[in-house]
Amino acid sequence: MIRKWVFFIVVFFITASILKANDFDRRLFFENEINKVAIVFKREIHFKKAHFYFQKKNWDSTLVYSVKQLNSSNTNIQLNNFSHYMRGASFLNKGLFSESKNEFKAISNDFPFQYKIKIAKGIIALKQNQYTEAIAFFEAVEKDQACHHDIDKSSFYHNLGLCYFHTNQLDKAEKCLIKSSDLHSKEKDTVQIISNYMDLANLYYEQYKDNQAIPYFKKAYQLSKKVNSFELKQNAAENMAAVEENRKNFAKALEYRKEMEQWKDSLNDQNKVWAIAQLEKKYAVQQKQKEITLLEAENKIKIAERNGLFYSSLSLLLLLGTSIYFFRQKVKRNKIILAQKEELDKLNATKDKLFSIVSHDLRSSVNALKTSNIKLIANLESKNYTELDQLLHTNSSIANSSYNLLDNLLNWALLQTKQLYFHQESQHLFSVIQQIEFNYKPLFLDKKITFSNTVSKDVFVFVDLDSFKIILRNLLDNAIKFSKPEGKILIYTVDSDDEYCTLVVEDTGIGMSAQIQEELLKESVVLSKKGNSEIMGSGLGTHLCKSMIAKNGGRLAVESKENIGTKICVSLLKSEHHG
Amino acid sequence: MDSINVLVIEDNPLERDELTQVLEKNGYHVVGVAASYNEALTLFYAHSVDVVIIDIFLDGKPDGITFAETINIVPNACKPFVFLTFSKDRQIFERAKLTHPFSFLLKPFNELEILYAVEMAVEKFYAQTNVFLTEKENTVISNDFLFIKKKDSLKKIAITDIVYIEVEERYCNVITENEKFVILISLTKIIELLDPSKFTRTHRNFIINTDKITEILVADNLILLKGNHKVTLSDKYKDFIHKFRILK
Repeated sequence: MIRKWVFFIVVFFITASILKANDFDRRLFFENEINKVAIVFKREIHFKKAHFYFQKKNWDSTLVYSVKQLNSSNTNIQLNNFSHYMRGASFLNKGLFSESKNEFKAISNDFPFQYKIKIAKGIIALKQNQYTEAIAFFEAVEKDQACHHDIDKSSFYHNLGLCYFHTNQLDKAEKCLIKSSDLHSKEKDTVQIISNYMDLANLYYEQYKDNQAIPYFKKAYQLSKKVNSFELKQNAAENMAAVEENRKNFAKALEYRKEMEQWKDSLNDQNKVWAIAQLEKKYAVQQKQKEITLLEAENKIKIAERNGLFYSSLSLLLLLGTSIYFFRQKVKRNKIILAQKEELDKLNATKDKLFSIVSHDLRSSVNALKTSNIKLIANLESKNYTELDQLLHTNSSIANSSYNLLDNLLNWALLQTKQLYFHQESQHLFSVIQQIEFNYKPLFLDKKITFSNTVSKDVFVFVDLDSFKIILRNLLDNAIKFSKPEGKILIYTVDSDDEYCTLVVEDTGIGMSAQIQEELLKESVVLSKKGNSEIMGSGLGTHLCKSMIAKNGGRLAVESKENIGTKICVSLLKSEHHG
Repeated sequence: MDSINVLVIEDNPLERDELTQVLEKNGYHVVGVAASYNEALTLFYAHSVDVVIIDIFLDGKPDGITFAETINIVPNACKPFVFLTFSKDRQIFERAKLTHPFSFLLKPFNELEILYAVEMAVEKFYAQTNVFLTEKENTVISNDFLFIKKKDSLKKIAITDIVYIEVEERYCNVITENEKFVILISLTKIIELLDPSKFTRTHRNFIINTDKITEILVADNLILLKGNHKVTLSDKYKDFIHKFRILK
C-alpha cells in the first residue's frame, strides 16, 4: 500500500520534469535557428506571431497563428517544418499527445532538429506510459553526441532515469538520476534538485535501500523548506511521513503528516485564494468593462457633442463670413449706388437744362416761323413779291435749323438709350463728304461761304455711315454758324499714320478762346453761352459729335485762334486695317 | 451699254415719285414701283431686275424685310438691294442684318446718298468692294453683266454680248458686236472674275469670248470673231485651241 502510494509521487514528478525539459528544449541552438528563420521570413506575419507566442509559451495563440501560416500561400518547407514543430510542441504542452505526434510526423526528414523531435516523442511515450518506446527514443538521442550541446541534459537524464525506473532497470535509473541530480545541482535549480532527490530516494526506497534513500528524502525535505512551491513541500513532507511511518516512528510520522496536511491546506487555501482572487478579478474586470462601456458611451456622446459644437460653430463662422461678405458687398454697392446717384443727378440736371434750352430754341424757332408766316401772308396780300422771296428763304433756314436740332435730339436720345444700330464698315470718305455737302450748298450760297473739299479720293475709312454723317453735319453746322459771311470752309485730309486718317474741317470764323476749347473737349455736356451772344447753342451737337467719334474709334482735336479761325481735326480709322 | 434696272418698293407716293425721278435723272431705269409685298414679288419676277430699293416699312409693317428675306432664300434669285428707313431702330436692324449682304439708307436722303447707296449695294453684293469710288477701277463683274460706273450712274454690259476685251495698260476696251467701251479694271481681276470656260486669253493683251469665234487662222496667228473683229493669237496662248475639236 505504501509502496504504491510512493509510486504515485514519482508519476507526479515525471510531469513536472517533462514540462521543465520541454521549456529547456527551445533555448540554445534551436532558438538561434528559429530566430534566423523568423528574420528571413519577415513578411510572413503569421509565422512571426506564432514564433512570438511560442516564445511567450502562449500555446493557444501559437496554434492559431501556426495553422494560419500553414494555410497561407507560402509553402517554404523550412517554414512549414518550424510551424509543425511549434504546433507539435504546443500540443505536447497542452497534453494532446496524438495531435502532437501527427504534427511531428508532418515534419520533413531534412529538418535539422530530428533529435528534438525524438526527445518530444520520447516524452510523449513516457507520458503515455510506453516506457520502452520512450527509452528507445531517449537512448537514440543519447547516442547522437552531436546534439548534446543543444539539449537540457539534466532534464533529459531525469526523464530517461524515470523511464528506466518504470521498466525496473534500476541500475540504469540510478545512474541517470544521479547524473541528472549532479547536473541540476550544477545548475542550482532547487526545484529540480528536490524532485530529482525525491525520485532518487524513491528509487532506493523501492530497492529497500533505506539507508541510501532516507538521506535523499531528508535532503529533499530540507531543500523543500527553501522553496515556495506548496506542492513540493507537501510531497517532501508526505515522503518523510511515509518514511517515518515505515520506521514505526509514528510520532514523527504524525508530525510530518500534519505538516503535509498543513501544506495541503495551504495549497488548497492558495487555490481557494486563487479562485477567489480569480472571481474578484473577473468581477473587477466586469466592473471595469462596465465602466469602460459607460465611458465609451460617454465618450461617444462627448464626441457627438463636440462634433455638433464644431459643426455649429463652423456653420456660424461661415454664416458670419458670408454675412460680412454680403455686408461689405452691400457697402460697396451702396457706395457705387451713391456715386451713380450723384452722377445721375448731375446728368439729370444737365438733361433738364438741355431740355429747357432745346425747347426754348424750338419755341423761338417756331415762333419766328409763325411771325414770318404772318408777314408772308401780309406780303402775299399786298403782293410784295420781293419781300416774299426773302421771307421764304428765312423760313426755310429756320425750318432747316430746327430740323437739325430735332435730328440731333433724336440721335442723342437713341444714343442714350443705346438703341442706335451701329455697324462700322468701309466708306469712301470723299463721297460721303460730297453727299453731306450737297445738302449744305444752299447755306453756303446764302452766307456766300467758299467751300472746298480736297479730301483724297483714295481714302476709305472704317466708320458707321450714319453716325459719321451726324459728325460731319454738326461740324459743318458749327463751321457755318461761326463763320463770317464770305468766309471759307475747307475740308481736307492729313495722312497722319498707318492706322488713322485725320479729317480737318477748317473755317475762317470767329474762333474760340483757349478756355472754350478746353471745355469743348471735356467729357461732360457743355452748356454755355458762346462768345457770340447772338449765337447760342445747347452744346448738344458738339456732345453728340464727341460721343459718335469715340464710338467710331476716332479722336477729336481742336486748334483755334480767336477771330482767325478754327480747325477741327477728327482722326478716323482707316479701313485697310479693319474688316 | 444698257441702263440698270431698278425695282422700287415704296408705299409713300411722294417719296416714290421723288425716288423714281432721281433715279431716272441719273440714268437708271425704274422697271417698276411696288407699294406692297405681293406687288413687289410679282414685279420682281416679271422683270429682269438688277437692283432693288426697299422701304422697310410698308403700310406700317416691316414687309420690306420680309421681301428681302423671301428673295434671299431663293438661290440665284437674289439681287443687290438697299433698305430705306426712317429710324435706326436696333430691333428692326438686327432682323434686316440677317439678309446678308445688306445696305441701308436713312431717310431723308439726297440724290448723292441714294446713288452712293446703290453703288455700295452692288459692290457688296458681288463682293468687290471699293471699286466705284476710286479712280483706279470702275467695273464690277457679275455672272451675267459688267457693271460699269459712267459719271454718276451705273451701266451694264451683258457678258454674252462681249466679243473680246483688249487690255491697254490700266484700261480695258470691251468690244461687243456693235459697240466699244472703255472700262477701268485690272487685267488680273478681269481674268479671275470672267468665266474661264467662255473667256480665254489669246495674247498678252487680248481676252476673247470663245463663243464669238468664227475662224482661227493658226498660220497667220489670227482669230476672226463675229462682227469682223480680228484678234492676234500669240504662241504662248495657242494651247487653248486644243479645247476645240479639230476637223481634219
